[in-house]
Amino acid sequence: MFTNTPTLKTLSAAVLVTAGSIAASPAIADDFYEGKTIEMVVPFGEGGATYVAAQFLRPFLEKHLPGNPRVDVQTRPGGGSILGANWFEQNAEPDGETILFTTSSTSNPYVLDMEEVEYDLAAMRPAYSLPFGAVIYVSPNTGIDSPAGLLEPDMPLIYGGIAAAASDLPTLLAFELLDLDIQTVLGFDGRGPARLAFERGETNIDFQFTPAYMSQVVDMVEAGTAVPIMTGGSVGEDGVLSQRDTAFPDYPSVYEVYEELNGEAPSGVEWDAFQSTGAVTFNYGLTAYLPEGTPDEILEIFEATIAAINEDPEYQQQSQDAVGGYSLLPASEVTESLSEALQPSDEVREHLRTLLSEEYDVDL
Amino acid sequence: MLENITTALSILFEPMRLLALFAGMLAGMVFGMLPGLGGVAAVSILLPFIYLMDSYAGLAMLLGAISVIYTADTITSVLLGAPGSPASAPTAIEGHALAKQGKASLALGVGFLASMIGGLFGALILSVAIPIAGPLVLALGTPELFMFALVGLCFAASMVGKDIAVGLAAACFGILLGVVGAAPAAANYRFIFGQPYLMDGLPLPIVALGLFAVAELIGMVASGGGIAGKPMAMGKWGESFREFWRSRWLIVRASIIGIFGGFVPAVGASASTWIAYGHAMSSTKDKRRFGKGEIRGVAGAEGANNATVISDLVPTMLFSVPGGPAAAIFLGALFSFGFYPGPRMVSETPDLMYMIVWSVALASVMGAALCFAVTPYLARLTRINFALIAAPLLLIMVAGAYQGTQTFGDILALLVLGVIGWLMKNAGWPRAPVLVGFVLATPMEQYFWLTTQIHGFAWLTRPGVLIIASLIVVPMLLNLVRRWRASKASAAANPADTQPASDDDAPRDSTILLLASALLLIAFAYACYEMMGFRSNARLMPAVGIVPGLLLSAYIFGRQLYRLRQRGQIVHLGSRQELPVLAGILAYGVAMWLIGFSLATPLLLAWLLLRCARMRLASAVIYGVIVYATAQGMFALMRLTPPVGSWINLPMPW
Repeated sequence: MFTNTPTLKTLSAAVLVTAGSIAASPAIADDFYEGKTIEMVVPFGEGGATYVAAQFLRPFLEKHLPGNPRVDVQTRPGGGSILGANWFEQNAEPDGETILFTTSSTSNPYVLDMEEVEYDLAAMRPAYSLPFGAVIYVSPNTGIDSPAGLLEPDMPLIYGGIAAAASDLPTLLAFELLDLDIQTVLGFDGRGPARLAFERGETNIDFQFTPAYMSQVVDMVEAGTAVPIMTGGSVGEDGVLSQRDTAFPDYPSVYEVYEELNGEAPSGVEWDAFQSTGAVTFNYGLTAYLPEGTPDEILEIFEATIAAINEDPEYQQQSQDAVGGYSLLPASEVTESLSEALQPSDEVREHLRTLLSEEYDVDL
Repeated sequence: MLENITTALSILFEPMRLLALFAGMLAGMVFGMLPGLGGVAAVSILLPFIYLMDSYAGLAMLLGAISVIYTADTITSVLLGAPGSPASAPTAIEGHALAKQGKASLALGVGFLASMIGGLFGALILSVAIPIAGPLVLALGTPELFMFALVGLCFAASMVGKDIAVGLAAACFGILLGVVGAAPAAANYRFIFGQPYLMDGLPLPIVALGLFAVAELIGMVASGGGIAGKPMAMGKWGESFREFWRSRWLIVRASIIGIFGGFVPAVGASASTWIAYGHAMSSTKDKRRFGKGEIRGVAGAEGANNATVISDLVPTMLFSVPGGPAAAIFLGALFSFGFYPGPRMVSETPDLMYMIVWSVALASVMGAALCFAVTPYLARLTRINFALIAAPLLLIMVAGAYQGTQTFGDILALLVLGVIGWLMKNAGWPRAPVLVGFVLATPMEQYFWLTTQIHGFAWLTRPGVLIIASLIVVPMLLNLVRRWRASKASAAANPADTQPASDDDAPRDSTILLLASALLLIAFAYACYEMMGFRSNARLMPAVGIVPGLLLSAYIFGRQLYRLRQRGQIVHLGSRQELPVLAGILAYGVAMWLIGFSLATPLLLAWLLLRCARMRLASAVIYGVIVYATAQGMFALMRLTPPVGSWINLPMPW
C-alpha cells in the first residue's frame, strides 16, 4: 500500500546529500559538542512515555552528535507540561545545549491560545521528531469489523478519554469528521486507565499510541477481544495527513476512511482542524525544540546526526520494540509542516475553540 | 513454576544485584525518613544510576527503595509527628502521641513489624498476579473504584474526634484544597487564579508537609529542648513483639485492605491507610485512646501502606497502569530495560516476575531489621535541642517541596499551607481530616462522573458496589447495636472519662481561634462565590465540600464569638511564643524569593543556630557550613537548581 515509496527514496537520498555536504564542510561541526552537556527538558514526570522515549534516544544522540556530548534528561512537570515549556522559553539559550522534548500536550494549549501559555512554540526551531502513531480499535461485541461498520454498530459506542483539550483532541475530531455517533466519557487519568475500562467492557471504542498498542493491544487482537479499525495516519510528501502509519501499513488512515465512507477526499474546516492537531499529535508526536534564534549551523548538525541515527542498525533493531520502529524525522522534514500545524488559520482556531467549549464544556 | 522461583532467586543472588538491592534499600530508608521526600524522591534519584547496571540489578535497586520507604518513614512519623509520606499520617498521629508518653519503642517496633508483614503480603499477591490478582483488577470497574474512595472518606469521618463540627469543617476544607486545578468531568480550571502552577492541583507531598511538618517544626523550635519530654528507652523491643503478636490478625486484615488499595489507581496508599486505620478503630472495643496514642492504629496503618505500595506493582506489570507515582517511575524503568509490561511479559519471563517478588520480600524483611538496628541511634537525636535539627530539617523540606515543579510556587504553597497547619494546630483543630478530604476529593469526583456517564444509575445494584458498601454499613450497624446495649447495661457506670489533661486538651488562645475560624469562613464564602461560575459538571464535588463547609464555618465562627463573650479572652502562652519562629520562617520564604536560596539560607542558619539554639559563634559557623554544604549537595544530587532570587541571582559554583 506504499504508493509513495519512490518519493521516500528520493527524499532520503536528498538527506544523504545534505549530510554529505555537511561532512564536506567541517567548519564547526566536527567537535562542536565536545565536553559539553545537553540538557534535554521533558515537561512531564519521570517514567511517562515522553521520559521513556527521551531516555531511549539519549545514548544514540550521545553516540552520533559530533564531539559526543553528555545528554542529561531533566524532568520539569506541572501544569500539564505548560510549566516546563514556560521555563524553557524564559531560560534556554539558543546555543544548542538546551532542548525541549515534548508532545501535543504542549502544542494544543498553544494552538488554542490559552492564557497560561508564555511560550512561542512556532518561533522555536524543531530539531527532530519521533512519530507517535495511534490505532483506533473497537470491541468485537460492537459487531464492527471494518471502518464502514462504525456507522452501524450493534450497540451504542462509548469512548473513554482524558480531556478534550488533551491528546484525545485529534481522535474526537476524527469522530466529528467521520460523523460518527459516539458517546464520549472524559475524565480518565490516562490512556492506561481508559484501556482498562475497555478491557472491562465499560467502553467499547478506544485508541492507544504505538508503544502501548504493541505491548497491550496486540495480544488482545490476537485473543479476539479487540478489533483494529484505523490509524491517525502520517504526513505525506504533500504535507497532508493522508498516508498510512508506517508502523501499521495494514490499517487505513482516517483520511482513507473518510474517502471510503464519503466517496471524496476530506476538505473544509473540520478536516483542517483534524489535520492540524493530528499532525502534531501523531506524526510529530514527540518533538525536540531548540530555542528561538538557534543558528542554522546547530540545526545542520542535528540534521546529519538524525540521519546517522536512522542508519544505525542498533537503533533500527531497538526502536522496533521501544517506539514502534519509527525512523526519526530530521528538521528538514518537520519544520515547514509543523509550523503550519502550529499556526492554523483563524477559522480553524475558532472552529476548535467553539467545538471545545460548546460540545466538550472546555473553559478556555 | 517451582523451578522459576529458584532460578529467580539465583538470578538475584549475584553479588552485584544483591549489592544494588541493598543500595536501593539504604536510599529508600534515608528518603523514607526525611519528611516530605518519600518514595518518589528516592526512586527518581536512583533512576539515573540504574542505567549503569544490568536490567536485573537496576530493577532490584528500585524495588529495594520502594519496599522500605513505608517502613522507614515510621521513624519520622513517630519521632517527629510529621508524616514521612502522606500515607503515614495515622502513624504520625498515634505513634507520635505514644512517643510523647515515652513509648516510642513500642510504636516503632509494631510499626516496623506491621510494615514487614504488609510487604510480605504484597510479595505474595505479586507472585499470583496472573491467576488471581489480574482478574481482581479487571473485576473492579469504575463504580467499585468510586465506592472504594467513598468508603475511605466514611472511615476517615469516623476518626474526626470529639468536636464533630470542627472535624467535618476540616474535611470540607480538605475537599476544597483537593478540587483546586482541572476538573475531571468538564475542562474547567477551579481556583487557580490564573496561575499555571495550580492547574495540576496542589502536590500531595507539599500539602502533607505544610499541614503537619512545618507546624511541628515551629512548635519544637519555639519550645526549645528536645522532641521527647523524657528520655526514650530504646532497644527494649520485647513489648513491641508481644503487642505485634496480639494485633497479628488486625495486621493481616490491614494488609489485605492495603492490597486492594494497590489495585485502585490514584486512591492507592493514602486511602487504604485510612480505611485500615478506620478498621482498626471499629475493631477495637475501647476507642478512647484513638488520637491519643493507640498502638492498634499504628499497626493497621503500617500494615496497609506497605502492602499497597507493593501491590501497586500488579496493575503496573499486568496492564502498564501504575497506581502511584513510585510505580509509574518503576514502569518507566521497565520500558527502558526493554521489558514491555503486560500479561505476556509476566507469563513469558517468569524469572523476572519472581526476581521482583524475591526482591520485594527480601527488602521488606531486611528493611525492618535495619530499622530496628538504626532506631536507637536516631532516638538519641530526639534529646538534642531541636533548633539544631530544625535547620537541616527545614532545608530538606524546602528541597522536598521544590522537587515538585521547581518553581517558586512550590515554596509559596509550602509556606501558605504551613501557616494554615500552624493555625489549625494552635486552634486545636484536627489536621488529618483535611488530608483525607484532599486526597480523596479528586478520585471520588473522577470516578463518580465516569460511573454515572458509563452506567447511568444501574451501577448502584452491581454486586461489587454492594459488597464494598456493606463495609460501611455493617460496622455502622454493629456500632449502633453495641452502643445501644452499652447504654442499657451501664447507664450509671460512666466513671473517670476525664483523662489527665495533657497540653493538647488545654484551652486554646482565643485570638487564634477567632482568627482561624474567621479565615475559614472567608475562604468558604469566597469559594462559594467563585463556585457559582463553574459549569455544572465541575460544580458538584466542590459543592459537596463548600456548602457544608460554609455552614459549619459560620457556626464555628458564631460559637467562637459567643464563647468569647461568655468566657472572656484566653491567652495561650505557648502559641504566642511560637509567633517569632513563624515570622522567621515566613521571612526566610520572602528572602528566598528576593535573594534566592543560596543567599537566604545562610541568614536562616545564622538566626536558627545563634538566636534560637544559642550556639557559640565558632561551633555555629562549623555546623552551619556543614548543613549548608549538605543542602546544596542534596540539590545537586536531585539535579535541581535551588530557587533563584528575583533581585539577586547568585551564580552557582557548578
